[in-house]
Amino acid sequence: MSPRRPPRSCRAARDRMTLLYYGALAPADKAGLLRHVDSCRSCALEWDTIRRCLDAAAPETVFPREAEVDWREFTRVAVVRARAAEAAGPGTAPASGRGRLSLAWAAAFPVPARFAVLATAALVAALLWNAWLRPGGTRGGGPGSSDSGIGGQPLASLLESAHAMQDRLARRGAVRYLSDSRVLLVNLVGPAAPCRKASGQYDITLEKEKSRQLLRRKNLYEGGLGALQDQRLATLVRQLESVLMQVAVLDDCASARQIHDLREQIETRQILLRIDLVTREMKGRADVV
Amino acid sequence: MDLTRRGGVEADDFALMEQVQGGSPGAFETLVERYQRRLYRLACGYLHNHEDALDAVQETLVKIYLARQRYRPSAHPFTWASRILANQCIDQIRHRRVRPEQSLEETQEGRPGRGPLPLLSSEEAAQARQERRELGRMLQGAIDTLPPRQREIFMLRHFGEMRLEEIAAALGCALGTVKSSLHRAAAAIRDHLARTDPAFRAKEEEAL
Repeated sequence: MSPRRPPRSCRAARDRMTLLYYGALAPADKAGLLRHVDSCRSCALEWDTIRRCLDAAAPETVFPREAEVDWREFTRVAVVRARAAEAAGPGTAPASGRGRLSLAWAAAFPVPARFAVLATAALVAALLWNAWLRPGGTRGGGPGSSDSGIGGQPLASLLESAHAMQDRLARRGAVRYLSDSRVLLVNLVGPAAPCRKASGQYDITLEKEKSRQLLRRKNLYEGGLGALQDQRLATLVRQLESVLMQVAVLDDCASARQIHDLREQIETRQILLRIDLVTREMKGRADVV
Repeated sequence: MDLTRRGGVEADDFALMEQVQGGSPGAFETLVERYQRRLYRLACGYLHNHEDALDAVQETLVKIYLARQRYRPSAHPFTWASRILANQCIDQIRHRRVRPEQSLEETQEGRPGRGPLPLLSSEEAAQARQERRELGRMLQGAIDTLPPRQREIFMLRHFGEMRLEEIAAALGCALGTVKSSLHRAAAAIRDHLARTDPAFRAKEEEAL
């Protein structure tokens, strides 16, 4: 036997209780609903249950780790990164999807990297030409033709090789980027040169310039790393970006406090150690060196 | 006493955004402080991972700053920010930059030197913490079982504290759809809790 259906007025009231909770009812509707709740015991219970349930879904209950975050520091880093991204120009702006394609690549990519990208593009174009567009070739035809590529090799495997090559290039670039960044971080962690312009401060002109250069280079590897399965490498590159951005926006003469904060980040995140581990492992792979 | 919960978006967000566009000192910091937590909760809803959510919020805030001149006041600034965040999260998922899903209540326990020190030490407090953790897990489970659109609407309203009109504008759907989805989402969460949480069920029976 099914339970008795509540009266229509109760059903209408219950349908609006969530809106009442979220303060989304017009004043007249709200007053009417509250009047009904006051006069109907079952709707009062229902309202109480809904309220308890939604109150229970408080952010501190559902996202307890939110409390672990130092939000003041988070704000500081976000602001520094945003300003650095703007200062470093469009090449370093975090871009996604279409935005990434619209980057001024010639400005962002160093010359050797341009050749690598062009080589990959040429290889892919050649594969497509041979597979589909070559005069006399058939498109998606019968057996032996749809899968044929250069020298009778299956197209799928040729495309796979192209992807693998792209992957290798991205990884190689990332390893170089990490090694260069490591040199910069070692300089920052080591004894700092006193600033000639202001006493009690430290000269970081070179580190700042180097950070900007590295940030400009990063876009090349970031796009490729997205396609990589190597999450550890991609994560390290991203975390490094945050530190480089902070260095890039400092004044030429940085205070002891600023240098200390940077060193603390480098040490806390064990960036140097992780760079060593990752690059050593990558260099051990035959396809990187 | 007002028992209801009002939209958390502030009316002066428009003015603040105007200041950000005009380059007023401190305006962007204020915007970040105001939005970061709400964006974090939304990101958790998309990515189910604490670290990924933090990364996504950082990237989103940088993008907001870089794109600030393209913002038009036809939409609330938080609506605009939430769309940038959603795209960022989708981008992260698409590029497989997300770590495996994890329970969002997973704490830093076991990592020495990390996380806040426990303030309570008695057995009762430990039990209360455990119960709350359990409740949090059940609520996450309830939210995760919602259909995607319902979940997004619920997250935007409940954790993003957006007004219903803003949600409708952000998602490109009718206000009525937002209202009915929110109602269904709340009912589903309530049913889920009644099925899975003995304490919740006991209170419900007690009330009857």
